[in-house]
Amino acid sequence: MADAIALPQNPPISFSTRFFRLLPGVALLAAIGFAGKLLERNVNSYAKANHWVIPNIEYVLWAILIGLVISNVFGLAEIFKPGVATYEFWLKAGIVLLGSRFLLGDVWKLGGVSLGLVFIEIIGSLAFMTFLGRLFGLRPKLTSLLAVGSAVCGVSAIIATKGAIEADDEDSSFAIAAILALGAIALFTFPLVGHSLHLSDRAYGVWAGLAVDNTAEATAAGALYSDAAAKLAVLTKTTRNALIGFVVLAYAIYWASRGQAHTVANKAAFLWQKFPKFVLGFLLVSLLATIGFFTKDQNASLANLSRWAFLLTFAGVGLRTNFREMRRQGLRPFAVGFIGEIAIAIFTLGLVIATARLFHF
Amino acid sequence: MSGSQIKVEAKTAFRLSLDTWAVIIALLTAALVRFGILPHVPW
Repeated sequence: MADAIALPQNPPISFSTRFFRLLPGVALLAAIGFAGKLLERNVNSYAKANHWVIPNIEYVLWAILIGLVISNVFGLAEIFKPGVATYEFWLKAGIVLLGSRFLLGDVWKLGGVSLGLVFIEIIGSLAFMTFLGRLFGLRPKLTSLLAVGSAVCGVSAIIATKGAIEADDEDSSFAIAAILALGAIALFTFPLVGHSLHLSDRAYGVWAGLAVDNTAEATAAGALYSDAAAKLAVLTKTTRNALIGFVVLAYAIYWASRGQAHTVANKAAFLWQKFPKFVLGFLLVSLLATIGFFTKDQNASLANLSRWAFLLTFAGVGLRTNFREMRRQGLRPFAVGFIGEIAIAIFTLGLVIATARLFHF
Repeated sequence: MSGSQIKVEAKTAFRLSLDTWAVIIALLTAALVRFGILPHVPW
């Protein structure tokens, strides 16, 4: 007869308890986002009334800045953390709803151009980051994580790859910190470069979607330029996200062939598991908008809902960026990420400008 | 403990991913707009 062993178990947390734990953080995201919106309106009208000439600071930047100040000056209280972590949920829901602003023909046309650019970007980024990682003597798995993070889609890609190649927690923390720090820098530098080069909304949006690694930061970098640029940044970034499974699978097979990770038994199931489902939701809403399932007013309402969801995301981007924690992760992975990201940004900028001339956008 | 067997059973609860939840909630919201329950969403 088998011996019975009582393992210590944490009591299951009920759905309602989990839901109520999210409320303070979600309320904080909403409050910061709404404060950003109020600041945009009031600062601009106050400046106008007093004949001041100041640059128009959009709600996106206000929301990010308020979040950054709270996180880095005061620190985020424990009670808010579960709710603040939902910013990715709002991002993905916002992207699905944004599908209402794309006719499927546009997705096909722009997505096709984006897909070609994304292939070139992914291959170039993977090769360059791998070269840099070796040059700086980083651990091989950390190099793989940085390469995937900068080539595909930031934090999600790093987490997916970490599981597939059995990388250390420390390596994935290094890679995530480097990608997040570089994303924060991109938020402030990309719009400046775009404006100084007089890039069109389309060209800038495609560039932001190609070169900014995390989906939240790519969306925010696009929105900081214009609404139209944000749309294109999301579309291009979504195309990149759709390829996450293939890249992670390739790395899993590579590390398994070296005996340092489990082999992938069912490749189709692996691809489906890693595939970002919100891409399918985005395409479905786009299809419904194309066949006239929604009226013009309803499309406008869905677009506004998407903006509200992004507002919470932008507040979350600021709140989860903590420079002190990033500094603790060390300088070498950051240096590799920094050099790599600058090279990728310049490479993709050249690619986008050449394609814009060719396809007239 | 010789000759004895230790049996540890792990039950994994079915959980939807964050992605899937985001799609479900977004589609439900789109349905609310489509069928007039949320008639107008201002910005």
